Amino acid sequence: MKYLLPLLFFSLPAFAFKVDLSGNIEAQGRKTWNNEDAKKELFQDWDNSEFYMLYGNLGAKVDVKGGSRFEANWLVRHSYSELYSPENPAQDEYLVTNVFTFPRTLVARDIFKLQYEKQENNYRTDSVLNKFIYQWNFEEHRFTIGRMFINYGQGEIFNPLNPFNQPTALNSITNFAQGNDGVNFTFYANDKHTLNFYFLGDKSIENYEGQIDKTVWLHGEYSYSEQLQLDYVLGEDQNRHKIGGQFTYLADEAMIFGQLLYQSDYVNMKKSHNLWDILLGYDEQMNSKWHLRIEGGYQKRNRMQPEGFNLNNRFLPTEYFLAIANKYEIHPLVNLSGTIITDIKSGFTYLVAKSTFSLSHNTEAELFAFSPISKGEGEEFPVQKLVTTDVGLTLRAFF
Amino acid sequence: MKKPFIVFCAVLGVKAQDAHEWIKYTDSQLRGDSSEATITMTVQNPNYTRTLEIKSYVQGKSQALSEILSPAKEKGIRTLRLDNKMWNYFPKMKRKIAVSSSMLLSSWMGSDFTNDDILKASKMSEDYNHKFIEDKTVGGETYKVIENTVKENTKAMWPKILTLMSKKDCLPRYYEYYDKENNLKRTLKLDNLKVFDNHQFFTEWKMIPTGETEKYTSLTYKDIKFNVKFPSDKFTQKSLTE
Repeated sequence: MKYLLPLLFFSLPAFAFKVDLSGNIEAQGRKTWNNEDAKKELFQDWDNSEFYMLYGNLGAKVDVKGGSRFEANWLVRHSYSELYSPENPAQDEYLVTNVFTFPRTLVARDIFKLQYEKQENNYRTDSVLNKFIYQWNFEEHRFTIGRMFINYGQGEIFNPLNPFNQPTALNSITNFAQGNDGVNFTFYANDKHTLNFYFLGDKSIENYEGQIDKTVWLHGEYSYSEQLQLDYVLGEDQNRHKIGGQFTYLADEAMIFGQLLYQSDYVNMKKSHNLWDILLGYDEQMNSKWHLRIEGGYQKRNRMQPEGFNLNNRFLPTEYFLAIANKYEIHPLVNLSGTIITDIKSGFTYLVAKSTFSLSHNTEAELFAFSPISKGEGEEFPVQKLVTTDVGLTLRAFF
Repeated sequence: MKKPFIVFCAVLGVKAQDAHEWIKYTDSQLRGDSSEATITMTVQNPNYTRTLEIKSYVQGKSQALSEILSPAKEKGIRTLRLDNKMWNYFPKMKRKIAVSSSMLLSSWMGSDFTNDDILKASKMSEDYNHKFIEDKTVGGETYKVIENTVKENTKAMWPKILTLMSKKDCLPRYYEYYDKENNLKRTLKLDNLKVFDNHQFFTEWKMIPTGETEKYTSLTYKDIKFNVKFPSDKFTQKSLTE
């Protein structure tokens, strides 16, 4: 199976009637300053450092006669940091490297591997086919097999309803999505109701040697009225039973949404406990230039994971949080965005500021700055002490 | 080709005092029951020019689908409108997001057009009351002027729009958009009248914000087909995410 899919793909042009290639290349440089508390208390003994990255996607879409389609995306990330472990990415002593290359996991549910990772001195290269699907449509149905992107849910900062794709609103890369290996069947029941069934597998927990962890998942979208849409999820994923839902209410001037996800104890482990995630959000286009989004929520700590890193490897290092994101067009070619995230319990507050300049039709530059602006109180989340101050520049080209 | 319209104008002449008939005629000509068009949008500013190519599908008043064909950065982004609901779909991420109806009134891709303009969500003949007011002369030509005022309980960005109608073919040449304070905010100029599928249609639309001399957005229709019979699933979630 591992070699069959690429072979099939490259033999396709003979049957194709439309081939479409697209992608983007990004070059990023950033300067990072360490958090004083991390130096003192968490053995992260470095002052400041530079990080450089080349990142790119090459996407291909091949429409085949008969209404079916092949799609693939090749993602390459080549980066440099003197804080990398010289030999093995898994042995990185300095935890900030996880932030540089977030998300580290490029394939969320991984059976086929189809990826290459190399570490040489302070250079690290990730190369992966993070999408590789064959899809066909017939009447009210759609069937997809391979490595796919699964992207749903209104949350941009926190989106617990979707465990198959990490939100990347808080870092500085574009067009990123995680792959998921398996099959998907979508049934468009009627104008109001769509059902998505997923059967996915994951070997990555076991380093490709152990058994495949299965995901059996249903995601439904139901349009209750013109204003109200309901989503629901149900299934087993990563050895937990999960059930949840989302409402999206379209008011005259704004959108209000909420999510709730319950995760049971591990199915096969005695020592575990359940988890809850809650999200409430508000989204409004205030005027033609100003967009406002507010997200607030709660994620229950996973106390079975090492202290400090017990939020299911998510980017957001808070249990209770409130985030306010503003995006403003100061010129048709210049956008400014600022997101402030605060931990309601500890007071820890983090600022993400970005400004994007359109350089030409297909190129842009982004200046970004990430910084904690208020220290948290209490020892509950040591991970908050690891949050660094970063300033950087990204140049992007789209083709 | 002009003859039938002279005849029509004569027929309309019987109801020449009925501004609503003029607007209905305009709607029937410029919108039709359905249409499929390829449009080049040029956003012109003093310091830069930005060009997008768009494919647009419209059926009735409530169904519209558009897709950006270029540039590469936005290529493939689709927008679906069904009644008062709207979704954007970003194919590179496979991400679909619902957007609030306030977005209909916001700028589309940084241009002087709104989402509502692009998706043709508002139908002038149904959403506004109409009456003739005093004729107006622009560029040496005198136009009949219809004052369109938005009906109660109708959501529309512009409470008042003046339509300057040509006396030759009973079709508009200018739309003037007024805000709540009765200030002229922008003017849409229609040009280059052609016939497509028995519909008279302007292939050049130019939106000029008031007070701007070097800033405007133009739409150039490369082609348009009217009364297109779309597949039954054209304006659905399935089609949006294809």
